[in-house]
Amino acid sequence: MIVGITLHYVNLQCDWGVNMEKFAGYILTGLICCIALGQFVQVVTRYVLEIPVMGLEETLVYPTMWLYILGAVNASREDTHIKANVLEIFLSTERAQTILAIIGEVISLIIGIWLLTWAWDFTQYSFRIWKESPTLYIPTFYSDLALCVGMILMMIYTSVHLIRHCRDLTQETVK
Amino acid sequence: MIEIALLAILVLVITLTLGVALPWCFGAALMVMYFVGDVTMKGMVLWGFQQLATPTLLAIPLFVLAGTLMSASGIAAALLNFVNSFIGHVRGGLGVVAAVSCAIIGAISGSGLTGIAAIGPLLIPEMDKRGYPREYATALIANSSILGLLIPPSLSMILFGWVTETSILACFLATLGPGLLIMVNFSVVNLWLSRKFDLILDEKPTFPQLTKNVTKTGIHAFPALLMPVMILGGIYGGIMTPTESAALAVIYSIPVGFFIYRGLKWPTFIEAGREASTAVGSIMVMILFSMIFGQMLVYEGVPQDLVSAIFGITENKIVLLIFINILLFLVGMIVNDATAIILIAPLLLPLMNALGINPIHFAAIMGVNTAMGGVTPPYASILYLGARIGNVKVTKVIPPAMLLMLTGYLPVVILTSLWPDLALFLPRLFGYF
Repeated sequence: MIVGITLHYVNLQCDWGVNMEKFAGYILTGLICCIALGQFVQVVTRYVLEIPVMGLEETLVYPTMWLYILGAVNASREDTHIKANVLEIFLSTERAQTILAIIGEVISLIIGIWLLTWAWDFTQYSFRIWKESPTLYIPTFYSDLALCVGMILMMIYTSVHLIRHCRDLTQETVK
Repeated sequence: MIEIALLAILVLVITLTLGVALPWCFGAALMVMYFVGDVTMKGMVLWGFQQLATPTLLAIPLFVLAGTLMSASGIAAALLNFVNSFIGHVRGGLGVVAAVSCAIIGAISGSGLTGIAAIGPLLIPEMDKRGYPREYATALIANSSILGLLIPPSLSMILFGWVTETSILACFLATLGPGLLIMVNFSVVNLWLSRKFDLILDEKPTFPQLTKNVTKTGIHAFPALLMPVMILGGIYGGIMTPTESAALAVIYSIPVGFFIYRGLKWPTFIEAGREASTAVGSIMVMILFSMIFGQMLVYEGVPQDLVSAIFGITENKIVLLIFINILLFLVGMIVNDATAIILIAPLLLPLMNALGINPIHFAAIMGVNTAMGGVTPPYASILYLGARIGNVKVTKVIPPAMLLMLTGYLPVVILTSLWPDLALFLPRLFGYF
């Protein structure tokens, strides 16, 4: 029965991972294509038809900022942020590498939470000011919000990696 | 304040060494500036976030996506076959194909990773089969892949132009001369090194056979060859901005990839979009925090302090240029090109102005030095990716990579610094100054 529950849990985890992979793929591809299409429409209307579309550039700021931040969140989910990994080259055992990863993740969490407080400060400011875009009057809060949401998600994923590494270490799955 | 700045940079290096992700390393440096240096963070996040929304930076995700689509769609393979039809049969010709193909790919993607990602999986096994040592083939393609950062459009030059308020188009042209010279150097060095390899060579084709082959692969590669023409023609014809030409490249590559080369299928298209967006996200968050850190240093007058401190040691231009090259080389060893440019360019610009060095020449110096960082360990993202693609141990790739760098790359780095016309000839010809 325990084996059954464990397998069910593992399957759920796998399904969740696969679904997140698919979801991230669709949302990020959608955002980046939306930006490319917007810019392309701008080229066609400005240079070919010679009728520039008003407000297109400022509208593109919203998917752009969400693309940047959600892309970074996905990098946290996949653990593919840019790292130098200098010490890792000199560590021969998997256990030492896991300990190093834990140290790195704890440091990342401390720094990330501090930065999150500043992102929250910025979000509150943006909500209070309620600035609007110059042509279409779209509140910039909707793009500013991305930073705080992104920081929260990045910290959640960093915690997930930290827990996974701690579990590997305590269960001695790494030698 | 320079002591606090040095402490912040030290913390940045320590966290980097510990394997902390780059954006958080800059966060650590910001913490030092805030808690130890008493520098305010108020308004900094607002400023940084607003800077990210600049339309100029939009070129980065679009060029990255164009590069990723090119790898996935078969566009790169068509280009490779075309170049191969000219010199593939010559002893050492495949190595030349690698260098030239990476340069052509650089004229589409602007990134240092696209060349190795697109050409590596196709050419490394082929070179291995023909008798080239696998680690040498990997090292050569990884080194040639750097050309993506030097042949316009270049992502690092977009960043340089943006942070130093220099014409981006002039910066593009500044690294073109050194980039082409590096391509020629790698080709020559490769032809020389290939003499001692036991290579399997194709029979030398007759002139009609060669013409037929070149025509056939040329027709097949024609839609792919239109991409760099469209991008560079659009930019330098004054028709489009780099961002708009990047968008055009993306939109063009989708039907070409789906219907002409047929390498692009729905799942690979989604995968390419996800991969490009993730790369862009990690770059942009890193840019956000490194930019805030750089701005803090500027606010606190660190660049001016630095100029005074350096001029206190020497005022000799040549000695200072050598010193700057060494500094940039060391920085390139621990961080990527984008970070190095965002952090170092605003710091060194006042020094360059004081030395009477043109900012466009400085762009070329920074460009060639930081690009080299992509293959110099410990932070050698291009070399590591190459080793993964080539299925070779990193330690085996490093010796041939260093040999190629010393013989093919380093002379150009020195030449770019000491002979300004190498960088300034083309921008001057196009009337940028």
